[in-house]
Amino acid sequence: MPGQPSIKTRRFSVSVVWIVPIIAVLVGISLVVHNWLQQGPVIAVTFKTGEGLTANKTPVKYRNVVIGQVTNVELSSDQKNVKATLKLDKQAEHFTRTGSRFWVVRPRIGAGGVSGIDTLLSGDFIGADVGQGEGQSKTFTGLEVPPPITYGEPGKRFTLRAPDLGSLGIGSPVYYRKIPVGQVVSYNLAPNGESVDIEVFVHAPNDSFVTNDTRFWNASGVDVELSANGFAVSTESLSSLLVGGIAFRAPDYSPNDEPALEDAPFELFADQQSALAPPNGKAQYLSLRFDEPLRGLKVGAPVEFLGVDIGKVVSVNLDYDEQHHTFPASIGIVIYPQRLGPAHAKMLKALKHDPSDEQASVRLLGTFINNGLRGQARSGNLLTGQLYIALDFYPDAKKVVFDPDARPISLPTVPGSLEQLQEKFQSMLDKLDKLPLDRIANNLDSNLVELRKGLKQLNGNTLPGVHGTLQEIGKTLQSANSTLADDSPQREQLKQTLDDVGRMSRSLRELSDYFGRHPESLLRGRPKDAPAENLEPSRN
Amino acid sequence: MVKTDRLIICEHCDCVYEKVTLAKHQKALCQRCGAVLQRYNGMTLQQRLALSLTAAVLWIFANFYPVMSISLQGLSNSATLWDSVVALSNGPITFIALVAAISIIIAPLFQLLLLIWVLTFALAAKRSPAFKLCMRWLETLRPWSMLEVCLLGAMVAVFKLAGMLDVLPGIGLIALAVLSLLIIRIAGRDVRELWEMLP
Repeated sequence: MPGQPSIKTRRFSVSVVWIVPIIAVLVGISLVVHNWLQQGPVIAVTFKTGEGLTANKTPVKYRNVVIGQVTNVELSSDQKNVKATLKLDKQAEHFTRTGSRFWVVRPRIGAGGVSGIDTLLSGDFIGADVGQGEGQSKTFTGLEVPPPITYGEPGKRFTLRAPDLGSLGIGSPVYYRKIPVGQVVSYNLAPNGESVDIEVFVHAPNDSFVTNDTRFWNASGVDVELSANGFAVSTESLSSLLVGGIAFRAPDYSPNDEPALEDAPFELFADQQSALAPPNGKAQYLSLRFDEPLRGLKVGAPVEFLGVDIGKVVSVNLDYDEQHHTFPASIGIVIYPQRLGPAHAKMLKALKHDPSDEQASVRLLGTFINNGLRGQARSGNLLTGQLYIALDFYPDAKKVVFDPDARPISLPTVPGSLEQLQEKFQSMLDKLDKLPLDRIANNLDSNLVELRKGLKQLNGNTLPGVHGTLQEIGKTLQSANSTLADDSPQREQLKQTLDDVGRMSRSLRELSDYFGRHPESLLRGRPKDAPAENLEPSRN
Repeated sequence: MVKTDRLIICEHCDCVYEKVTLAKHQKALCQRCGAVLQRYNGMTLQQRLALSLTAAVLWIFANFYPVMSISLQGLSNSATLWDSVVALSNGPITFIALVAAISIIIAPLFQLLLLIWVLTFALAAKRSPAFKLCMRWLETLRPWSMLEVCLLGAMVAVFKLAGMLDVLPGIGLIALAVLSLLIIRIAGRDVRELWEMLP
């Protein structure tokens, strides 16, 4: 008998319909995962104000493409600024690099132009620029003004060090041969507060004109130059008058020049002239002590060596001499030996001197001082009384002991030219003082009295006589005049006499002619009846 | 007491009939008023539960993903169902916001939760705790669940605004459409068969 197989019913059978909720859940999970994968970084940016920022509305753009959105705008905990939370897209992850910049784009009108007009319609947005840093950051400080250079523009940045900012500002143009090739992108005080670091950006391809030897100078404003050639006014451009500007150029003679590297530091000179001057080289500080008052010597006054500008005065102070209880002037000067040019080079070669060896420099200076090198305050301008320091050789100057260890090196001095002039003038006055002025004056006085007496006599006695004589002379001249008049009898007589003389001379000539023809008549006498044809007719 | 399990009453004219077993594509009509008494219900408990769970997932989508987003001149905005309720409540008609919240969010949610609760126990051939209460509430909630109305409203808005603004339907709108169809199917009148299945 066949047995009955036991039938087991599956208690729980899974229907195909379960695929539907599984698919729904899978779709849901995929959406969530997709969202999670798309989830970009969330960063916080602090701004001064929340103007134009709206949560879930204000986009974050890079090159005008949306890369994120503002999700929250709130006051910071200290209520001093506004914290905007930005949710960036996945592909905008590198915007969290340190150094990334964020700023609010809104319409702006400035000296450099107009920007952000399109935001009038679309509303403000946050502009972003990728940082170059390696690290990542979650918090950033928003810029108040858009950076002038963004989006990795080709070109180079350079840092200029200047004593002050002048009239420069962000966006001030940078000129090369008067063509704008870049602009000022930022400026800030040096950490020690003693200078200003100005960062400029020069666009490619003109950035290759910035070489290691290039000089930058401030081209703001107008250069007015008054020289022997006349009056010259020059400016880089009209806009640089308004917003300032920087110009650069390499000196005309700069061999082996290489394009400068990115972020290379340069000095910003005040004007073109000082910028293109030959390099100063190593500076040498010297201190001078003058016993004379130095009114008119100012910081910045030139220091000349044999007439060549070699440095400048950096400090003018009074000192107190404990031994003599006097107040000598202590002058600090800085000299640049390289300014001597070829002479310096030749000297280095001849003396086999290395300028970087300080001890050798000091020894060299000591030799010069032994040869009579002295400082002297001279008057540069007699009208204003301004002084300058002249370094010169005075071989007959008093010998001094040179201390090679003193810092700054002390340079002996001789009295100034004005001082010497004053001394001479003084001695002249002394001599004048010694003159017997009283006696001279007394003598002169009595002489003058005598002279007055003489004059009185002349007036009283001599002059009337002279007057009478003059009258007599007048009369004589008058009678002479009447004698010589045309109708005077004397003249008539003279005329008759002259006529007679004329007649006499004629008859004398006739006689002589007759003798010429008849010389025998002198002996024989005149023939009685000479034929008529032998006789010459009379001329008259 | 007369056994009434096998009897059925017409909803509209109260005429009493005996229950019949229907085959596919069949429905029972009242002889007096012509109203539908019974439909063939091909859905098993498992299917119903599966669809309920699907609907629950869709409900999550519809509420957490934006229904649509509009943009104009670079300004864009998107809203979920909840955002629309919040927007209404901020206006002068806060009461309408309450009605909207009940009809498009709360009522469907409760329907789905009750269905899943009841069906899960039914699958194990058991009456769930508070079975009667749940079944009565399912009936009560049905007229309050107006997802299809919300869907129509959203569709009208999308088509109307499309001319003026850039309107993008979101994931939420698709989820909403599927959810409203599913709810009609699973939370219909035939849920009452559970009464018979679970004595």
